[in-house]
Amino acid sequence: MDRVIATVVGIIAAVGVSAIVFIGANKVFDLAPRRWSLFSSLIGGFSSLLLFSLLWGNRLIDQPVAATALALIVGAAAGYALSRTSDQSAHLVIGISGGVILGGLLGFFFTDAYLPAISPVTLVVSVAVGLAVGAALWASRGRKTSIIRPLLLWGSIGWLFGAWLIPTLGGGSRIEAVIAGAVLGAGIGAWVGTFPLPDHRMKQSIALGSRKYIFLIPALGFVLMTLVIPLIRTFWLGFLTGTPTQLTWTGMSNYVAIVTDPGIIDFSNWTDMFTSRLMWAGVLVLLIGFAVARISGKRLGQTVGLTGGSLSAIAAGVILVGFAVFAAVRGTISNNLWWIFAVTIFSTGMGLAIAVLSDRSKGESVAKSMIFMPMAISFVGASIIWRFMYIARPPQKTQTGVMNAVWIKLGQWSNSPTATAVIVAILILILVGILFIAWRGRKAHMPAITAGAVVVALPIVWLIYRFLGPGLGGFQVIEATGQTIGQPILFLQEAPFNNFWMMVVLIWIQTGFAMVILSAAIKAVPTELIEASRIDGASESQVFWRITIPQVSPTIGVVVTTLVVTVLKVFDIPKVMTNGNFGTQVLANEMWQRAFTELNFGLGSAIAIVLFLGVLPIMWLNIRRMQKERAAH
Amino acid sequence: MKRFRIVLLVLVAFALVAAACSSSSDETTTTATESTEATTTTAAPATTTTAGGGETTTTEAMASLEGTTVTVFGPESSDEEAGAMQDALNVFADANGMTITYTGARDFSDQINAQAAGGNPPDIAIFPQPGKLADFAREGFILPLPDDVTATTVENWPEAFVSFGNVDGVQYGVPNKADIKSLVWYDTQAFDANGYAIPQSLDELWALSDQMVANGQTPWCVGIESGPATGWPFTDWVEDMTLRLQGADYYDQWVAGEIKFSDPAMIDIWQTIIDLWNKPGYVYAAGGSIASTPFGDNGQPLVDGDCMMHRQASFYSAFLPEGTPTGPGGIDVFYFPAGPDGTKPVLGGGTLAAAFDDRPEVWAVMNYYASPEYSTERQKAQQARKGGQLSGYLSANKNMDTSVFLPLEQTMIDIMLNAEVLRFDGSDLMPAAVGAGTFWTEGTSAVNGDETVEEAVANIDASWPSS
Repeated sequence: MDRVIATVVGIIAAVGVSAIVFIGANKVFDLAPRRWSLFSSLIGGFSSLLLFSLLWGNRLIDQPVAATALALIVGAAAGYALSRTSDQSAHLVIGISGGVILGGLLGFFFTDAYLPAISPVTLVVSVAVGLAVGAALWASRGRKTSIIRPLLLWGSIGWLFGAWLIPTLGGGSRIEAVIAGAVLGAGIGAWVGTFPLPDHRMKQSIALGSRKYIFLIPALGFVLMTLVIPLIRTFWLGFLTGTPTQLTWTGMSNYVAIVTDPGIIDFSNWTDMFTSRLMWAGVLVLLIGFAVARISGKRLGQTVGLTGGSLSAIAAGVILVGFAVFAAVRGTISNNLWWIFAVTIFSTGMGLAIAVLSDRSKGESVAKSMIFMPMAISFVGASIIWRFMYIARPPQKTQTGVMNAVWIKLGQWSNSPTATAVIVAILILILVGILFIAWRGRKAHMPAITAGAVVVALPIVWLIYRFLGPGLGGFQVIEATGQTIGQPILFLQEAPFNNFWMMVVLIWIQTGFAMVILSAAIKAVPTELIEASRIDGASESQVFWRITIPQVSPTIGVVVTTLVVTVLKVFDIPKVMTNGNFGTQVLANEMWQRAFTELNFGLGSAIAIVLFLGVLPIMWLNIRRMQKERAAH
Repeated sequence: MKRFRIVLLVLVAFALVAAACSSSSDETTTTATESTEATTTTAAPATTTTAGGGETTTTEAMASLEGTTVTVFGPESSDEEAGAMQDALNVFADANGMTITYTGARDFSDQINAQAAGGNPPDIAIFPQPGKLADFAREGFILPLPDDVTATTVENWPEAFVSFGNVDGVQYGVPNKADIKSLVWYDTQAFDANGYAIPQSLDELWALSDQMVANGQTPWCVGIESGPATGWPFTDWVEDMTLRLQGADYYDQWVAGEIKFSDPAMIDIWQTIIDLWNKPGYVYAAGGSIASTPFGDNGQPLVDGDCMMHRQASFYSAFLPEGTPTGPGGIDVFYFPAGPDGTKPVLGGGTLAAAFDDRPEVWAVMNYYASPEYSTERQKAQQARKGGQLSGYLSANKNMDTSVFLPLEQTMIDIMLNAEVLRFDGSDLMPAAVGAGTFWTEGTSAVNGDETVEEAVANIDASWPSS
């Protein structure tokens, strides 16, 4: 309870302080035209306060209260003095002396352990680079103003890097720190001191022009602190190696290590894909799909006719072939690609199917709520739920996992003649029904329906064959005794399809997401279009393939890109279910293990960057499409 | 003109950022005050001293502990273990008017890495792995013990355990808990009913296993699943077998990386274990396969008679089903038998406390950990929480009151205190990339049959840090 109260108080305090700062900033800039000297002192005081508070917060200064108070006074005094004189040279003197005092204070109070050690070479090179940048910028701006100011600013920035930022802090003396601070202060002070004297119009424009920045800066600052700076740091860390406190430059070796790691991608068994049944089933279905496309194309007078039936068959074939490939080519990258492939296709496909089939049907909202519900479960929660469903117990015990209970039961049925007879009878009835639909399609000259029915019939034929022939389900016959016992599947241990069983969890979650978005898009398809097509004699499937799908295709794009990004980052599910064991490693978990289990931040960061580069093109596509849409409106 | 405006705006930007920073730090300090020591009031600068400059200080008088707070973070997270730890700490805290808060997390290893690297460690961490403690010492994250704490440790703990907390000649760790791993749990009634005798050598043990299979029983329960640490029970088997078949010197060289995993003798040991586990009928795995069975799930089958033996450490008693009778007539342990040369090596384990912050109250708590009182109080509390059963806690403190332990536990303590050869769990001594990484994962792959032993050991060797 104390924690709750403390958190609530903290949040209220944070919001309150932010609001005060926000309003305060607006009020301060209101002062600019009317009370220039007050404004100037406030800005001077605030900026020194800010600098010292930042150092204070990072525990870089001793006696922070005294140091910060002194800095506040010096800054305010300098600001005030600057505003009271209208002489340019006096300005310069005030600026420099204020800067020197502030910089000196900084050096004087800087914490012992981090005193900068000045290295002349670094310093000279750094200042020279700074001056060069300043001169280049000045030249690029048309050389209209004096070169002094850009040189002062960029020279100081060069000094800042050379004395404070590039060398590792620590090991220097107090005098070095004071010099490093005072010179920096002098440079910045001189730069401030050489501002042209503000007239009334300029003061007005300061007050007006500041507003947009006051509104923008909190958001920008937040993005900078939580996204841009960590990204740059991660990028930098990717080139380092060693333990967290002793990181040294290692160039590209982390990336080389990623590429040469045998676990990252493994082609050693790639020929297996040609001997796998999945591959041949996939090729068969693909051929059926193309054949149907050719037949319906002939009818429509095109080379290929992409109707519903042919497209479904082709999609099914692609999925099967894809699975065969991913099951043969192993490794972390392959796992990630498999995740993207499977989860994106299944979630989008099933989401679309549910959205279409439930559209305007009875009980639509109930059905959709049920399917959407897994979205409310966290990845970790869902992983734990599914772990219970996949759990396997020794054969002699009752299976407690749903999946294995069903599997073992199937095995028992297929070993009992009565159960087999009943099941095969039911399956034959279903098969007859499907073949009847196929025959009707043939008669009605709708090859798509025939093809669809044949494709659906294939697994049923296979099921009948299994029941009559080798049997189906989890069982094994002990040769010595002729006894039959159940044999559970170790869903999470048997590579490579344990990967797929984990993907099922994410598909289960994300189908609801795809369904909701696509359902909204389908409802937004103009009814005039659909009615017009109906009047023209379009069948239900033609309406779907030729009106609905083209209309919702931008939304499908959104769903697919969102899913790809989500899936690429998948971490929780492998972490909870196998922790990357049994050939289920993915990049995000690999990154975690390298960085946080082994404290190898260099390699971990490099993997993070690889992941980032993988997401980048998809983000780019997404943004491009959004911009196009905006342009279209 | 425009330039001046931009400068002012940048300054305002900084002001806002600073405001955001300061308000958020307000928040964290308010929420953290109850559990962490308020560093803001002490104007002390960086609290970590530089590594190597291991200047030892002496703690001040105990009188100054009034009102202080110390945070402890460790891997023991079950109600019994974490609760007993807190109870034992409370005894000391109440006597001194201070507050000590213990937090336990199952994924301690990952958490402590993130906390230390992020500059926000607890005052004291309880390391289950001396290798990790050594890494942290060399990083300069943890502090060397002051002389008086070292003295208390040396006075109360056997040399072997003290040495586990010693890094390059400097003492960093205080033993907190001791485990003995060379134990086999079995049901005395089942053994009596079948007339099985306690095996005295590895050969007898294998013969006993064969006999059990011949009698239609499953000799072994094995499970190596343990969340992010999956695989460690396999590494314990490898270590115990190495100590027996190759001796302590070989073991030390292997742990230090001087003997590779791909050494033929090491491959033999792996193959022996994996062959034993894969022999049909020799292993009962409650989770379907060895790699998917949580190591803690093997208590019930042992009680139910689904398997006859379970090689697991002393702390395993915490995983026995509630109300299981222990000792003679119930579930008991025997020493994992000696190898061909007859020496009786003991594989030990345990936890070590190390300090991140140099404050008198932190050292006072560290000193308490080294004292016999802690071991006694911890045992009393843990036993009470387990309802008088085996507590799962064990200590090798030489001066503690052993009467608070049950007879079975006293036997284990005797084995530890009198061991000719006592070695710490090797995987905990190796670099984290191996000991908490590939040794676990590659071992799991080999056990699961995803890789051959040769492939697995080659992968481990490749992952050994080169420096």
